[in-house]
Amino acid sequence: MTDVLPRPRALLLILALVILAVFPYLYTWPFFGSFLDPFRTFQATRFAIWLIILMGLNLLTGYSGQISLGHGAFIAVGAYIAAILMNDYSVPVFAAVLAAGVLTGLVGFLIGIPALRLSGPYLAIATLALVIVLPNIIKHRLVEDWTGGVMGISLSTSHVPGSLEGMTTDYQWIYYTCMVPAVIMTAMAWSVTRSRVGRAFIALRDSKLGAQQMGIDVSLYRMTAFGLCALYAGTGGALYVYTAGYLGPATFDIGISLTMLVMIVLGGLASILGTIFAAIMMTVRIDFVDFVIGMIPFGDRIGIDTSRDALFGLLLILAIIFTPTGVAGSIREGRERREARRVTGTGAPPSRLARLFRRKA
Amino acid sequence: MAELIQQVATGLSTGSLYAIFALALVLIYRSTRVVNFSQGQMAMFTTFVAWSLLNWGLHFWFAFFLTLLIAGVMGALVEKALMRPVENAPSLNAVILTLGLLTLFGGLALRIWAGEPKTFPSPGVFEGAPLTLGPATISRPNIGVFCTSVLIMVAIYMLFNYTKVGLAMRGAAQNRVASQLVGVRVGRMLALGWALSAMVGAVAGMLLAPTLYLSPSMMMGVLLFGFAAAVLGGLDSPLGAIVGGLVLGVTQNLAGTYIGSDIDIAVAFLAIILVLIVRPTGLFGKQAIGSD
Repeated sequence: MTDVLPRPRALLLILALVILAVFPYLYTWPFFGSFLDPFRTFQATRFAIWLIILMGLNLLTGYSGQISLGHGAFIAVGAYIAAILMNDYSVPVFAAVLAAGVLTGLVGFLIGIPALRLSGPYLAIATLALVIVLPNIIKHRLVEDWTGGVMGISLSTSHVPGSLEGMTTDYQWIYYTCMVPAVIMTAMAWSVTRSRVGRAFIALRDSKLGAQQMGIDVSLYRMTAFGLCALYAGTGGALYVYTAGYLGPATFDIGISLTMLVMIVLGGLASILGTIFAAIMMTVRIDFVDFVIGMIPFGDRIGIDTSRDALFGLLLILAIIFTPTGVAGSIREGRERREARRVTGTGAPPSRLARLFRRKA
Repeated sequence: MAELIQQVATGLSTGSLYAIFALALVLIYRSTRVVNFSQGQMAMFTTFVAWSLLNWGLHFWFAFFLTLLIAGVMGALVEKALMRPVENAPSLNAVILTLGLLTLFGGLALRIWAGEPKTFPSPGVFEGAPLTLGPATISRPNIGVFCTSVLIMVAIYMLFNYTKVGLAMRGAAQNRVASQLVGVRVGRMLALGWALSAMVGAVAGMLLAPTLYLSPSMMMGVLLFGFAAAVLGGLDSPLGAIVGGLVLGVTQNLAGTYIGSDIDIAVAFLAIILVLIVRPTGLFGKQAIGSD
C-alpha cells in the first residue's frame, strides 16, 4: 500500500472536501439552488453522524472481524454522557462530545475484556444482550435523576454561539459541528487502518494463530478494536443528541443496531470508502424505498404502499446476493477486472451482476 | 415457599416456549452453520398460513399438518433460492441475508394479513381445567408446550445421532468437501436442515398463537429469548436448547417476582453474559477445534 494517493484520487478527495466545506451555503447559489435546500443540509448532518458511528463498527467488525450487534449500546452511552454533561453541568458542546467519546471508548475497552473469550454467534448474542440490558439500566430509579428515566432528556435546541451570530444559521452551524469531526475521524480511521494497529486487526481477523506467530498481542488488539469502536460510537452518539435535542432509553434500539450491521456489509467491510457508502445508505434508506416504490409501474393500483417493509427486505436480499463484497468491494473488483483485461488482453471472469445481465441478453 | 414453587413452574412453562425456538435455531445451526435471524418471522408467517387454512374451514389437525408441509417446502425453497448464492461468501453475508428475510416475511405478513390481531384456536387436547401439582397450578396448554419441546428435542437428538441422514447433515455442515467425497448430497442436506427447522418453527408458532394472538410482531420477544436460550445452552446442542430455555424462563420469572417486573429481561440477559464469560460456547456447546 502506497502512502501517497494516486493523483486522480487525490484530486477527487480535494474536490469532495471543498464541496463538504461549502455545502450548507450551496443552495443559495443560482445553479445549485434548483436541487438543494436546507433539508439537504440536515441530511448531510445526519450523514456525518452516521459516518462516525459506522466507521467505529467497521473498524471492529470489518477490520478486526468481531461481530457486534450491540453498537447501539455504545452510541447510547456516549449520547447519555454528552446529554448529562451539557444539561446538568452546562459543559460546552466540544468538551462534552470529546468527553463522551473518550469515556465511551474506555467503556468499550473494558467490555472488550469479557468479549475476549467469545467469538462468532456467541459474541453476537452477548453484544446483543448489551442493547437489551442498557435501556433497563437507564430507566432504573437509581440513575433516573441523571438519565430522566422513561421520559428521556430534552436539550434546548442547539444554537449558534454568540460570537458567530449572523454569520450562520442554526442548521449550518450544526452541520459544521458534525462534519468537521466526521472528516477528522475518517482521516484518523484511514491512518489507523494503514498503520501497525490496522494491520494487526486484519491479521488477527484472518488468522488468530498466524497473528500470534507474528508476535501480535491478540487480547490487547481485540480490546483496542472494541475501544476504538466505542470511541467512534460515543462521539457519534454525543453529536446525535446535540443535533436531535432529545434522547430516550429506546432511541438506539435493536433494530438500529441490526440495520447498522446490514449497512456496513452492503457498503463494504474493512473499507473506508465502503463506510462512506454505508453512511449514505443509512441516511437515505427510507427515502430510497419511497423512490423505488415510485418507480414501480401501476404501484398504486396494487397497493404497493403497504408493502414497503417487504420491499426493503427484498432489496436487502438482492443486494447481498449480487454484491457480496458491498458497494466498495464491487468498485474495487471492477477496477481489478479492468486492470486484468488491460494487462492480459483477455477477459477476466465477469462479476455475478454482469453475468446476470449477460444471461438475459 | 409455595409462591416460589409456583413461580418456578410458571417459569418452566415460559421457558419451554423459548426452548422450542431455540431447538429450531440449533437445528439450522447444526445442519448449515447459519444463525437464522428470520426464524421467528418465518414461524409467524407459517402460523398465519395455518390461520388462513383454518378460516377456509379445514379441520384443525389437517390444517396443522398441511401447514407443516408448507413450512417445510418454504424452508427448503428459501435455502435453495436465497441462501445458496451466499454460501461461499463471507459468513457475515448469510447473517445479513437472514436479517433481510426477517424484514421480508414481516412485511409480507403485514401486507397480506394486516389489521386486528387474530385469535387462533387451541388444539382440543389442551383444553380443560389447569392441573395442580403439589402447591403449583399449571395450565394445560403450558404442559402441552413443555411436552412438545421435549418430544422435538428427542426427535432431533435421534435424528442427528442415530440416523444416516442426520449423520450426513452433520457432515455437510462440518466439512462440505469431505462429505461430498463420501457421497453426501450436501445441497440436499442443507435444504433439509432449513425445511426441518421451518417445521419446528411452525409448530412453535401454532402453539404460541392461542395465548399471544396472531400479529406480525408476535414473535419478536420470544425470538430474542429463543436466541438467548440457544446461546446459553450451546448453539449445537439440542439438550442445551431445552436447558437454556428453561433456565432463562425461570430466571426471568424469579427476577420479575423478586427483583422487579421492569428488570426481568435485563437480569435474564445479564445472566447470559455471565454464563458466556465462564463457558464461551454455552452450557453444553462444544468448542470447535481449529476455529478462532
